[in-house]
Amino acid sequence: MARISIPTSARLPSSLRVDASHPAVAKILGHLSRASLLSVALDWLDEKNLPLAAPYLRRSSDQDGADDDEDDDLNPPARSPAELQRLYSRLQARKGSKRDVMDRIIEGDWREGLSLYQLAMADLQYLHDHPTSQKWSAYRIVPLKTQSADLDQDGAQTAVDKESLTIPRFHPSTFLKALQAQVLPDVKAHYNFDRHKDLPLLLLRIFVLDSPYSTSLGLANGSGQSTAGASFDTSRTIYIAFPDASPHIYISKPQTFGTAGFGVGGGGGGESKSLRNLIFEGIPKALSRPRQRVTLKSTNLSTRNLTEILDRRGAARTNCAGGGWSIYADEKAKDTPLDIVALPTPPLSDRGSDEENSNLPKTQQRPHKKRDLSPASRGEERAVKRAKVVAQARFADTARPDDGKGVERVDIVIEDPFSPSGTHEQSPHGAASGWRPNVRLTFHGPHVFAGVRQLVECGIIDGERMPGWMTGEEGVTVGAVKHGRIRGHKGSGV
Amino acid sequence: MESELVSASASTLALDDGIENLQARVSSLKKQLRVQTSTLIAAPSTRELLSGAPRAGKLLAQAAAQEAHNQQCLYRACASITTFRVQDPDPNAVDGGAALGLRVEVVSRAKFLRPYYVLLNRPYPNASRHLRVHRHTVPPCIPLAGLAARHLPPPPAPDQGLARFARSLRREIVRYHHRLGVVADLRKAAGLGRKKKRIAEDEGGEEEQEEERQARGLININPADAEAKQLSIEWVDGRTGRLVLGDDGEILKFVAVGDNGRDRDAVRELLGGAARVDEVVERLASSG
Repeated sequence: MARISIPTSARLPSSLRVDASHPAVAKILGHLSRASLLSVALDWLDEKNLPLAAPYLRRSSDQDGADDDEDDDLNPPARSPAELQRLYSRLQARKGSKRDVMDRIIEGDWREGLSLYQLAMADLQYLHDHPTSQKWSAYRIVPLKTQSADLDQDGAQTAVDKESLTIPRFHPSTFLKALQAQVLPDVKAHYNFDRHKDLPLLLLRIFVLDSPYSTSLGLANGSGQSTAGASFDTSRTIYIAFPDASPHIYISKPQTFGTAGFGVGGGGGGESKSLRNLIFEGIPKALSRPRQRVTLKSTNLSTRNLTEILDRRGAARTNCAGGGWSIYADEKAKDTPLDIVALPTPPLSDRGSDEENSNLPKTQQRPHKKRDLSPASRGEERAVKRAKVVAQARFADTARPDDGKGVERVDIVIEDPFSPSGTHEQSPHGAASGWRPNVRLTFHGPHVFAGVRQLVECGIIDGERMPGWMTGEEGVTVGAVKHGRIRGHKGSGV
Repeated sequence: MESELVSASASTLALDDGIENLQARVSSLKKQLRVQTSTLIAAPSTRELLSGAPRAGKLLAQAAAQEAHNQQCLYRACASITTFRVQDPDPNAVDGGAALGLRVEVVSRAKFLRPYYVLLNRPYPNASRHLRVHRHTVPPCIPLAGLAARHLPPPPAPDQGLARFARSLRREIVRYHHRLGVVADLRKAAGLGRKKKRIAEDEGGEEEQEEERQARGLININPADAEAKQLSIEWVDGRTGRLVLGDDGEILKFVAVGDNGRDRDAVRELLGGAARVDEVVERLASSG
């Protein structure tokens, strides 16, 4: 532990230890399940991470003297990391309570404290275990117009360069250095980069601490007081995700836990918001380079589902071809001009669907043909089939309940004037005088657009008259509808 | 009893095999049938036969469809940018849902890739001829928005250049794929990225290849940005380098950093006066 604490503007070192009895340690570790806790502990003991996560070991020199007071130790220290590794592997194979493992970590092997690096790893493990624990907002990195130096001073540097052909580039360590320079010296932050386990993402965890000290003094400052919990609040942890090969970044929205902290936290919500703003303002500056400035532009998409956000704001072809348009983005479809044998069958034609059916086992396609049906139910069946085809036309293969690409909330404001006949499209210009009711729609559910699709398939929504934004093809979760289309998008994919 | 069971299971196995073989045969025959049909029906002699025959309406329609498809394939293979018409399914779509599709063909590694599509519509009520990008499947590393702003400006601008837009878009896409291809070539020339093959090879071959790699001392070449314009290069001894490419694969900058700062020898050794990245590929391939 360092003796002297000097306020500096450096970032918090990864090796900095947080007291094991600190409530934040218990909180972060307590999130994890037993299996994850054990796997994280084993990760700490990995050779690569050991320098930043050294456990408390029994020293060979004080074996004789210290044996006495370690006899009543519930968690006797191990002799080597390898021994600990074996121990935790054994625990993994055995059943037991999470409490035991946590006690072992906090009171035993890491009784001298857990480094910030360890806490970051544990937090990331939680993110991997609970992919929907964070709410992400996607932002587009947009280049700004470069202007001459004298204009610079006036702050006129705000015009977005729409004609720019440069794709913003991102270099992790340069970015971090620049971001650190943007953060005020009385705020300390710990940064940790990690690759996402199975998505093409680079995650940056920013852990902010309100203390000018970059040593353990800053952490120990208020350990006894009630404010200590506040300064370690999860709202102080911000994740930034950088998708590979895509000029977007995703920023997590820190969750403010309830109103309980009203008195204690002293308006912690507002504070964390300003902290987030600070980081948020720093990001574009950190991404900018001399003579090449960028800014962040909201893309109106925020969801808990990283897969969905990667699908709509990622590196693939699907960004601007959602809903029914996704047939053009389907990478799997073979479409080469050299194949003149396969006549293109429109995906919804009889031939196409026949071929699809022939792939199914015979038992599945036979029965409904054999059944003798009354004309009424036959008509019903035809309607159901038609609804399915319409749904396929509007959604293609998107918005399936099990595709794992669901948004959980969509907010729409309708700005169209009221028209009793429902034919507002006929008179878009004479609409100024019409009565505009204030209509706001909120769709809520595990997979909003899959729900809409199911309603279309059941025939509850008329799929042919359904407006395009209900298919989710715009890829936004917040939008205003005018003339039946999401405004500002005007059907634009750019 | 047991032997009976064994023989029974053996016979079911044989049956399963037989069924599988037959199914494979069925699918291959079906495929052959499709090939033969498509060839026959598009042949001029078949048309002549059909045109006189009674009740050949359906066949004639199929022949016409096949011919249209053949023509489309020919255009697509030769012209690399083709257009088509699309109907927007949205009932509120602008301009009655009419959209113009651009199809950009890309050939990479002697194969046609899945084409890139750009769908344009005409949303401006006062300037009915002005187009706007509606949907597209171009990856974000292609500056489509910038190109659209340059060549397809919104109404106050007098005219738009769809042809210019399509050409420059295609150029960007092709350049991007060429850069990706050159990275793959570089890796190949440096003896990288053949992990699967190396596993398949026998021990001796593996060692040989390992030696080969050691001789050149390169352990990694990867694109470092979305556009594949910057390559990060790593040597065995811990040196790292950054190669900056221009749009067309010309070498703009190359810096290598070792333990003692910048390593100009490494740069000279790898580039040897090459101005384009293709020359580096040739150098690497010939030296190995």
